[in-house]
Amino acid sequence: MDFEVTIGLEIHVEMKTKTKMFSATPVAFGAEPNTLTSPYDLAFPGTLPLPNKQAVINAIQVSHALHMKIDHELHFDRKNYFYSDLPKGYQITQNRRPIGSDGYLDIEVNRKTNRVEIERLHLEEDTAKQLHFPNYTLIDYNRAGIPLIEIVTRPCIHSSDVAAKYVETIREIVSFLGVSDGKMEEGQLRCDVNISLRKTGDKQYGTKVEVKNINSFNYIKIALEYEINRQKALLEKGEAIVQETRRYDEEHKATQSMRLKTDSVDYKYFPDANIPIIKLSDEFVNNAIKSSKELASAKRSRYQKEFKLNDYDTGIILSNIQIANYFDECAKLSKHYKSIANWIISDILAILNKNALTIDQFEIKPKTLVSLIEEIESGKISNKIGREIFNYMINNHVDIKTAKEKLNITNQQSDDKAIRTLVIEVLDNNAQSIKDYHAGKDRALGFLIGQVMKKSGGKVNPALTSKIMIEELNRRK
Amino acid sequence: MNYLDLTIKEIHEALVNKKVTPLELVNEAIKRAKEDKCNAFEYIMEKEAIEMAKTLTEPEKDNLLWGIPFAIKDNISTKDVPTCASSDILKDYVPIYNATIIDKLLAKKAIPFAKVTLDELAMGGTGATGHLGKTTNPYNNERMVGGSSCGSAAVTASAIVPFALGSDTGDSIRKPASYAGLVGFKPTWGRISRYGLFPFTPSLDSLGFFTRSVYDSATILNAVAGYDMHDFTSSKEKVDDYTSDLDKSIKGVKIAVIKEILDTISDTNIQKKFQETLKIYQDLGATINYVSMDRHLLKTLFPTYYIISCAEATSNNANLDGVKFGLNLEGDTFNDSLIKTRSKGFSERIKRRFVIGSYSLMAENQNELYLRAIKNRHKIVDEINKILKDNDVIFLPASPSTAPKFDNKVDQLEDEYLIADNYMVIANFAGLPSLTLPVGFIDNLPFGFNLTAGAFKEKKLFNIAKALEDKSGFYNLSIRTKK
Amino acid sequence: MKTVDLKRLQIAANRLCFDMSEEEYQTLLNEFKTVVKQMELIAEDKTIDQYEPMVYPFPCDVTILREDEPIKPSSRDEILKNAKNKLAGQIKVKKVNG
Repeated sequence: MDFEVTIGLEIHVEMKTKTKMFSATPVAFGAEPNTLTSPYDLAFPGTLPLPNKQAVINAIQVSHALHMKIDHELHFDRKNYFYSDLPKGYQITQNRRPIGSDGYLDIEVNRKTNRVEIERLHLEEDTAKQLHFPNYTLIDYNRAGIPLIEIVTRPCIHSSDVAAKYVETIREIVSFLGVSDGKMEEGQLRCDVNISLRKTGDKQYGTKVEVKNINSFNYIKIALEYEINRQKALLEKGEAIVQETRRYDEEHKATQSMRLKTDSVDYKYFPDANIPIIKLSDEFVNNAIKSSKELASAKRSRYQKEFKLNDYDTGIILSNIQIANYFDECAKLSKHYKSIANWIISDILAILNKNALTIDQFEIKPKTLVSLIEEIESGKISNKIGREIFNYMINNHVDIKTAKEKLNITNQQSDDKAIRTLVIEVLDNNAQSIKDYHAGKDRALGFLIGQVMKKSGGKVNPALTSKIMIEELNRRK
Repeated sequence: MNYLDLTIKEIHEALVNKKVTPLELVNEAIKRAKEDKCNAFEYIMEKEAIEMAKTLTEPEKDNLLWGIPFAIKDNISTKDVPTCASSDILKDYVPIYNATIIDKLLAKKAIPFAKVTLDELAMGGTGATGHLGKTTNPYNNERMVGGSSCGSAAVTASAIVPFALGSDTGDSIRKPASYAGLVGFKPTWGRISRYGLFPFTPSLDSLGFFTRSVYDSATILNAVAGYDMHDFTSSKEKVDDYTSDLDKSIKGVKIAVIKEILDTISDTNIQKKFQETLKIYQDLGATINYVSMDRHLLKTLFPTYYIISCAEATSNNANLDGVKFGLNLEGDTFNDSLIKTRSKGFSERIKRRFVIGSYSLMAENQNELYLRAIKNRHKIVDEINKILKDNDVIFLPASPSTAPKFDNKVDQLEDEYLIADNYMVIANFAGLPSLTLPVGFIDNLPFGFNLTAGAFKEKKLFNIAKALEDKSGFYNLSIRTKK
Repeated sequence: MKTVDLKRLQIAANRLCFDMSEEEYQTLLNEFKTVVKQMELIAEDKTIDQYEPMVYPFPCDVTILREDEPIKPSSRDEILKNAKNKLAGQIKVKKVNG
């Protein structure tokens, strides 16, 4: 039997604003429990919500990146339910009028473009963090109230590859916009997936199963494949799919039933009168869009068209916003784009991987790297010497100047006259090689240049030496 | 005659002339509070008030609230002072922040004196449903003082304090003001910051106050009105000097009387007094316009209010789970604890209201209940605003009777109940400023009439009220001045 | 709207996380009958759906938002002082189901 898979995704992104969604409480990661709270965050009676401007700007920027219609009025609703991590007993969200609606994202998989339709993007607030023990649970409210955006697709995805690539693209967008770091492992990006299968050609969707708790990009495809195969096997046996919520268990690489969905929960949504309707001017919305940071897709075309970088280099540089930022910093200072890319990809990333560092923690800053590259490109030092200096700087935590002094490196001779003197000296002592050269033996040129190098202690510019050598050889025809 | 028997303005003169000190006022208030027969207190801030009074030694001539003790309805957040909204669910809760209205009064050096009772969580109109039991009427302890701001009305009418803060969602200040012979005022929605007011129905809730004169009411509004960055719904509309036009002539003022509401009042004493009062206004040069409102629509006021307020109250009180503050009863699991705490913490009456509210919000019922109610609210507001377009105020009796007995049974489907007893919610639906003032006594029980003006027309409202107060002679009424 | 019956009211109550006694449900059922009768008054009004649901008493749109500037947070002792059970700077509750 052939089945068609239908997937819809709900992604929550935790934003890295300075304050919470509805209170001016500071936001920071890794703070001591309950040190980043104020009366609103614990729902003290009489406190009122005060919507965060930056969170709204962020939501506009993401909506724009997802080609969505942006509502110029903000309306907030309450979603009512009881849970230990929900201080107010309701969550403020946007049910009636999400800030973003009707967008899309084109996802390319195996050279085929798949359009993922995005139904809505809305603003809401995060819940408290819980730590569960066998007999009790501890609650930390630092996370309670951090701004979230929820991005909901239509049920329009038909393969796990597209679904996984879509999530990655969302992560790329939010991290390049600077809205969130988008780390799934740290819960900054959370993804719930609805999957159903139907016989190819059927009009009705099959029974929907929700999969939660996928907390790494690496697991998305595995979890979805598992779930698709599980449902397929059941259907082939003629068994019914149970409407339920399942969680992904990384240890067993399988989805497991969490709870049955008997009837859908009634959240009793209604408008929150504590927040007036907030009118966003065209100017406000346009400024938010204009001030958006450059998306990966824009960078990609810039790198390839303007900088002439290849697919491979571009891909690696854009794999991470920090690397891209580092590259962009360098590219502002030097036009040797390919060389910058090479250094980052083959030298810097290797060191970072070895030491488990991020590029932001890397001690050689773009300005230093660029000055090293400039010295090499202008012929002041050789590539080899450049790498020696680079390594010395890292190992001994010193600047270029000190590294050069310690390594006893003076700049390559680029002085025409000094090199010519050396060349003449070498030629005077190697009559046979001159004959060989004129007899068409190419190796002779290499040998002669090598001799000049040796005499100079490697400090002559090879290109210039070669040019002068040929001139002098031609004189001695 | 004791200085506490006076109005704020008069006490102020005594303070400035050093005839009395804030400490003496506080000590007298403590004495009176301890003799209270109305069961009006949740917490007397004896120590705090004395301490503050001691620091007040140099009277401020231009600050009428300097050294004036006042009472606070116990659903207003007071830092380090227990606040339980007269509900067991908030047992032992001690807020860690002050409501904006409290901070503003503290800035004026008024002295917070006591936290006073209310109908549980402000959801009621009898003053009989708080966790401490009935709060009674100072004029007759067999009778209601009304609610939900029962304690605030009782202590002001007992002259324990010259003013008390209350909150008004349906008529919770203006109805008790009628039963207790006081000036009870609620401003335009957004005129006073709600930050720190425990929410019942945010789009209907207003803070306000009980005083014994119109002038005092305007004085307090001067101190507490204004935009507050802690409340996004507070208004940026300019704050006026509300005492400045009080004695202006009301010649040419247009007063609307809604016939259909007046007609449902059966008490002939009230009807007679109303006609006399209209005559006063006419003599002062005002025009009386009898206007009409669809009787059928008027009968929907109460159910509209009931559905909206119950629905939103379920959500506003969902934070009361025993986790962060308040009553906490342990069960085997979190869920058990939650159910135990909420089952015990709320009275049965509150729970019934919550169920009605929750039912109205459920997806399958929302269209016929909650949504229909807020559409009907819109219709009512449109009608009221039409009347106020051509008139300065709407003028009507604040209640169809004097304070009822506690065992008073009403038929909730009768017109007098549905209309005359509940029409003042119109001012909450439309967010309008509204004031009740005393106009007379029947069998030694006071009663009042109500004036409602257009949004942000507080100045006009006070002006029209003061004109009546001057002529009626019902000024500075309390059980002490009455005797 | 579903007809009001005991079972539905029990479900509504349970979703609000409290219990009521049998007789309370009876009282509630009677109260509900009154409310439903009163609400029928609105249902009789055929013009009602022409009105937009009213969320605020009057138009009160604003154009401002809160600037993203942090204030000093509450101290942990203060924010937790009203909580009954605490452990390691966190609020401790009984085992959370599910």
